Amino acid sequence: MKKNNTFNLKVDVEICQGTAYCVRVAPKLFKVGQNSTAEVTKADPGQEFEELIIEAATLCPTRAITY
Amino acid sequence: METIRDLIPPPHIEGIKHFVDFASVDEILRSKNFRQGSHQESQPFFGDSLLTIDQDAHFERRRLQAPLFRKEALEYYEHKELLPLIESALQECKETRNESGEVRADLCALVRTMLARISAVTTGIDGVDSQERTDAFRTYIEQLGTGATVEWSTEDHSTVISRILKIREGFVDEFYNPSVARRLDLINKFRSGDLSEDDLPRDLLTLMYLHWNDDWDDELPLREATLYLVASSQTTTHAIPHLMIHLHEWFEEHPEDYEKRFDREFLKRAGHEAIRLHLPSPALLRIALKDVTLSNGVEISEGERVACLFTPANRDEKVFGADARKFNPYRDTANAKPWGFAFGGGEHTCIGRTLVTGLSARTDNDDGTDGTLVNIAHALFRAGIQLDPNDLPTYTELSHHDAYGRFPIILKDL
Repeated sequence: MKKNNTFNLKVDVEICQGTAYCVRVAPKLFKVGQNSTAEVTKADPGQEFEELIIEAATLCPTRAITY
Repeated sequence: METIRDLIPPPHIEGIKHFVDFASVDEILRSKNFRQGSHQESQPFFGDSLLTIDQDAHFERRRLQAPLFRKEALEYYEHKELLPLIESALQECKETRNESGEVRADLCALVRTMLARISAVTTGIDGVDSQERTDAFRTYIEQLGTGATVEWSTEDHSTVISRILKIREGFVDEFYNPSVARRLDLINKFRSGDLSEDDLPRDLLTLMYLHWNDDWDDELPLREATLYLVASSQTTTHAIPHLMIHLHEWFEEHPEDYEKRFDREFLKRAGHEAIRLHLPSPALLRIALKDVTLSNGVEISEGERVACLFTPANRDEKVFGADARKFNPYRDTANAKPWGFAFGGGEHTCIGRTLVTGLSARTDNDDGTDGTLVNIAHALFRAGIQLDPNDLPTYTELSHHDAYGRFPIILKDL
């Protein structure tokens, strides 16, 4: 969490295996990008996204999402 | 003794295409054009569990179970369950001190004891408390593990399945049914407003019965529980003996590193190397959902089963360097996960990986957990673990797995 109460949401594309589980649970935050790996669409989401972010990060099979 | 062996493909994967290079295995595991093809014979133990279902069904089941692996849950398992259990298991070893004043143990059994309760807690099995009950529970997990990996058994497979199904009845009567009954009672109290959801246990069985799906058969929670019980202890039980023998050899060759036996970062890297070289699941099968041509030009027909051999793939010099066959805790694995395919890949990547590797393992934030490998290795070194030069470890003869069957140790500082 950054000082301004937003999340520093990132996907490690080296680890992401393109299951797109994050896109299914949080389509407002992630999309399938180039090379079929996930990309963040909202880099600094606010606290209202906390539950979705945690669910996406925990559900990711390779835990490629940090926040 | 030989501590790094080649995989000898077991009979159940003879006659089908084998993929042994990292890139091909990675491509197949990531692809949505394949489904799970492993565990055909072990269906009575794992059938329709998270391990064997694919795509939408897999996503929904995994989503249901994901809360068990949230950061705070992992921190709870490690600090409140694992660490005390490691300590109590070592304390119990003291009681076996022999007439010479030595504390001896079998490392395979000791690690299973350390992990028994954490397996029970995550799965939702009650009553794993006294030494006697823990021993009984641990023995059931070992036996269920034999059934769940029957494809790799060197015994007659149908005999193994019959024997383990009979043993499972004892586990169901003694541990499983009472645990389910207590959870159903708690869930009823929650539904009638006598309990809040926060009062319910956070474990697999509670989640499944709380969110029951009418498409499930009545025995599915038992098979899912079997997967959790076996998988949550198997990786670590398999890896710790390999880790200990590799570190023993490493410290002999690099005595300047001996002080690092208490360095958690060093132990983490060493643990990754041990599971990269010695995989708990050395091969997985996949079935093509349509005709597929891989990047390397290999064609796979719709319905064809293929075998991904993780052992050679995890020793691929293109990914892990010229010394890929050797143990090296200083290995740079910038282009791959340091454990390679030790936890599988794609959507079937092991849901419990963070229990083993910890949360601070490269992909997560710096805070978190160290995982079972580091914590157990650290505790063993504190206890002064030594190999017995007159009674060296031996590999199991009951399975094609790269696993130790006996691993005698001396805990000289207990």
